Amino acid sequence: MADQPTTDYSSIRRRILAAMLIVPGIPCMLALAVGYYYFYNSLKSETMAKIERIADSHRQLVEAFLDERTNDLKLIINSYEYEELARPGQLTRVFENLTQSRSGFMDLSLFNSEGVHVAYVGPYDLAGIVYKQEKWFKEVIQKQEYISDVFLGFRKVPHFIIAVTRTTGEKTWVVRATVDTALFDQTVGNVRIGTTGEAYIVNKDGNLQTIRRSGGLLMEPDEDAPSYLTAHDRIRTFLGTNRAGEKYVYATAWMKDNNWLLVVRQQRADAFRQLALATNLIALVLLVGGFLLAAAARYATDQIVRRLKQMDQDKSLLSRQLVAAERLAEVGQMAAGVAHEINNPLQIIGTEQQLIELTVEEMQEGGELHDSENLAQVLDSLKQINLQIERCANITQGLLKFSRKQEQVVRLISLKDLVSDITNLVRRKAEVEGITIMEDISPALPEVMLDPAELQQVLLNLLNNAIDAISQKGGAMEGQIRITAQNQDGRVRISITDNGCGIKEADQQKIFSPFFTTKPVGQGTGLGLAVSYAIIDKMGGTIEVESLEGLGTTFSIYLPITATGSRPEETQAPKMKKSTAAPKASGPGGNGHAAN
Amino acid sequence: MQPTRVLAVDDEERFLTSLAKLLAKKGYQVETATGGAQALSILTDHDVDVMILDVKMPGMDGMTTFKEAKKIRPLMEVIMLTGHATVDTALEAIKIGAFEYLMKPCAIDELIEKVKQAADRKGLLLGQPKG
Repeated sequence: MADQPTTDYSSIRRRILAAMLIVPGIPCMLALAVGYYYFYNSLKSETMAKIERIADSHRQLVEAFLDERTNDLKLIINSYEYEELARPGQLTRVFENLTQSRSGFMDLSLFNSEGVHVAYVGPYDLAGIVYKQEKWFKEVIQKQEYISDVFLGFRKVPHFIIAVTRTTGEKTWVVRATVDTALFDQTVGNVRIGTTGEAYIVNKDGNLQTIRRSGGLLMEPDEDAPSYLTAHDRIRTFLGTNRAGEKYVYATAWMKDNNWLLVVRQQRADAFRQLALATNLIALVLLVGGFLLAAAARYATDQIVRRLKQMDQDKSLLSRQLVAAERLAEVGQMAAGVAHEINNPLQIIGTEQQLIELTVEEMQEGGELHDSENLAQVLDSLKQINLQIERCANITQGLLKFSRKQEQVVRLISLKDLVSDITNLVRRKAEVEGITIMEDISPALPEVMLDPAELQQVLLNLLNNAIDAISQKGGAMEGQIRITAQNQDGRVRISITDNGCGIKEADQQKIFSPFFTTKPVGQGTGLGLAVSYAIIDKMGGTIEVESLEGLGTTFSIYLPITATGSRPEETQAPKMKKSTAAPKASGPGGNGHAAN
Repeated sequence: MQPTRVLAVDDEERFLTSLAKLLAKKGYQVETATGGAQALSILTDHDVDVMILDVKMPGMDGMTTFKEAKKIRPLMEVIMLTGHATVDTALEAIKIGAFEYLMKPCAIDELIEKVKQAADRKGLLLGQPKG
């Protein structure tokens, strides 16, 4: 109904859709988030444990490298007396023996306690230089053995040395070897973790002691060193960010009396590659799942809203029909009341008319009145009064029929015969008007339980209306009425189609209302279709109209096919037979009023 | 030959008087009553062959009047006059012995015909047909 506030379906739609998306969406996101969280933590601890293991074993490897070489020197210093080693050529022989069994030594030197480079085997010409003031010399005298940081020294090339001392009696002397930094770099740097994993050593000041694969030459300070140069036992693992903003997983281990720090690190993205994979997977699941969810929710919402709309429409249609039915019932009751009240005065008028007629007759017989034009006029008027009373009686009877259940003679009747009979009844009248009636009656029409008189009345009414509609249209057009009757979807459809004047669209709504008529005053009561409607409705059927103004009209009656086996209740039959006689009082042509 | 005695009962006085005149012209002997109580008192004093009784009346209604009248004059035939809305009552009356019912407005010819039939029936029952 256009005048009713229209339901805001888009708002309902939005709310349902939101609920359908949020309700499954939130638990789904939560599940994925929790899953991600635990996966991340497990992966992190696994990664940390792994890098810690690597750092630990790598430290052992590097320490072993240094220990082996320190022990080599110790063996040499303990195997020879100072004088033996100082003998020209001896150190060379020792060095040759040493390099045969051990790689990584670049040179070998012998120093006396004064720091004088007594003997030297190696690529540089360093013999004779006094090292007494050098840091490493002081340290080795003090600590018996010493491994230096990488430094330039007199040769001005980055290197580091291992030195050991021996004291016999008053004499202290030092054997020193330079370690091949290339080999050491290789040893330290030889870790393979992912694609970005690397290992290197920095000293306490944060200077690189080995070449770093990702960039950083010997002795260069590592800018990031301050972030991880902290005192700790064993191995420390943590996540850190370098100056360039790259995130790393670090494992650090102090070695060489806390002078060197072994750093094993791997870029976080590399270490957490699986996490990225999982993240992508989750994103994919969210995307695809979200899409499917949205599609399903949309579909379901559409369905719900569609059903809702349908239901609302049905409801509004129903309530409209209800209102119409109520209005019809009210009008009917009122009409019945009016009809009933009018019947009494009509009865009196009728009686008076009879009295006058009888009196006039007596006066004629008694010679009081002579036949004259006036007398003929009086008699004619009296006849006319009688006719008009009958007409009024028809109207009131029609009103009462419309409003109230009249006694029915319900029986099993053949629709085919009934329709044919009615058609034949009006055929003559139609022919006079120049109208052709065509029949299309299915021989398969069932027998139905109803009052034939009532259905006859309805059909007569519709046929008379059709004839009127055609004659009203006039013109040269040949009038045609087509009557069809057939089974349709478990019901019987009887339709009467004319090519008459049609019904205005605005009037189509009103034609079943009582007292609505388009005929000139005095020619229609406006009750025919209202009564027809009431009758068909009582039978459990419907009556519909389709019309195009100027082209014609089709009235369709749909009747239910009742259980054909059932018979009218016998107890009721006598009463009904009796009553058929009585309504004759309403005068002949009881259907005459039906034409509106 | 004794004329058929008719009692017309209706609350419409003009109808009563006109009907009475008509019936009288047709040779009936007519009494009228405007209500059930009056009808019963007339019946007590006079024998009546046919009673024309309106179903719907103020005061004592047609049905009660019918039952009481039958007690007084069991052989009397009764024609019920009814408006449409009271057809059921009229049918009830027929079940318990009314002769016929007619719906208002009824043609006077028909009413008179029914009165004649009713009188004949009563006459037949009594073995003395009347005109």
